[in-house]
Amino acid sequence: MKSFSNNPVVERAQPWLGTLVSIRVEGLPASLAHRAIDAAFAEVATVHRLMSFHQEDSDISRLNRHAGCKPVAVHPHTFEVLRWALRFSSCSKGCFDVSVGAELVDWKFLPRPSGGTCEPGGSWRDIKLRSDGSVVFHRSLWIDLGGIAKGYAVDRASEILNSWGARRSVVNAGGDIRVNGQKAERIALDAGSPTNTLPVLELSDCSVASSTGRRHRRLHHGRLLGPHVDGITRCPAPTARFVCVVAKSCVVADSLTKVVMADGEKSREVLRRFGASAHLYDSQVGWRYLAGESNQP
Amino acid sequence: MRAKFLLLPLEAMVVFAGPAFATVYLTIEQAQSVLFPNATFQPRTITLTEEQVKSIERASGVHVLNKQIRVWRVSTGGWFIADEVVGKHEFIPFAVGLDDQGAVKGVEILEYREAYGDQIRNPNWRQQFVGRQPGARLRLEKDIRNISGATLSCKHVTDGVTRLLATYEIVLKQSGR
Repeated sequence: MKSFSNNPVVERAQPWLGTLVSIRVEGLPASLAHRAIDAAFAEVATVHRLMSFHQEDSDISRLNRHAGCKPVAVHPHTFEVLRWALRFSSCSKGCFDVSVGAELVDWKFLPRPSGGTCEPGGSWRDIKLRSDGSVVFHRSLWIDLGGIAKGYAVDRASEILNSWGARRSVVNAGGDIRVNGQKAERIALDAGSPTNTLPVLELSDCSVASSTGRRHRRLHHGRLLGPHVDGITRCPAPTARFVCVVAKSCVVADSLTKVVMADGEKSREVLRRFGASAHLYDSQVGWRYLAGESNQP
Repeated sequence: MRAKFLLLPLEAMVVFAGPAFATVYLTIEQAQSVLFPNATFQPRTITLTEEQVKSIERASGVHVLNKQIRVWRVSTGGWFIADEVVGKHEFIPFAVGLDDQGAVKGVEILEYREAYGDQIRNPNWRQQFVGRQPGARLRLEKDIRNISGATLSCKHVTDGVTRLLATYEIVLKQSGR
């Protein structure tokens, strides 16, 4: 495949963030494209190492063990993701909440962290970002960045490719996708919708992320649970729903899928705040579109 | 920022009924030069003995599917291994670069054949579109290279890497420099 500038299209994929991350670059000579992709993957790897709930030496594991007792210094990336997370929590009145790690552990979507405890009744309001770049919790929490870190990693990778002069790039971390460049990229949506049509988004210069509880739901004490938790009710979001959010940045798209998953049509205002829009599908109502593209951050 | 939502009628597409929809990322040679720039590669095919298979399975906790392993000794030090794992539906070929101490230098997926949703991956479902070429507006495989919503697990790939690290410890480390 050739791109518009006679430079080859270079695409590679590596396993990171619990999924497959693919990076495609157009408009650079092959050797430069590979170096740009190397740099972008290195950044994804950094985000993976810092924000893993599973790895004991990640920033998140250290926060979950110690931040309830004392401030914990974290990498600027972790600090930045938490800053975004608190912004989403505040705007969604707590519907988006990274402190749902406790529920995800209870429902066996995440392993029980070794060391550290989790006090009941905690929320995002207990997370304090300090001016010295450290983080402290007002009570012990188990936070999980699974609903935001992939989007952030995609943004970081995408910005690195831009800095290398890529005229067009597509970064895809398990369906959290950012397209840079004017030429539209067609992205199929795996929504579980009727099979006579294929839902497709044509994107240029923006991001999409999708969520569905359909694939990962499981029975827990007689209840069918999905991996998305409504931060306000602490109950699982509807599992039959498919949600995709389109926004300029992937961290916004990734995070707001969780809000739309839980809140459905009520999430219009939050979408508008972040210049995002959403497509929802469920088998009873079919496709719905929630617009809110003004006020892009 | 521009986004357009479309519901494409599938009857209008040409869907090739190959074994899978594949995205080819790198050839083995390309993966070699990505993982070990400016090196040369000496190929070796190693056949694992029953005993080695058992040791690797014990050490890694991962089943060994193939007793033949394709390895290359790297002129600048280290090893390049081409292998594959079984994904949800298809084989996923991948390559691992190990440095001289046996630490992972990098993992590159060579080809991924599960890029579309369950319905589209299903060969019976694909079969219904075979031969419907007239009026085709879109070739799935060529025009749509990404999908959102089908969370792809990479656990099988990370298991494969764990197995190859055990293979290094048990077989390659001794087999010489």
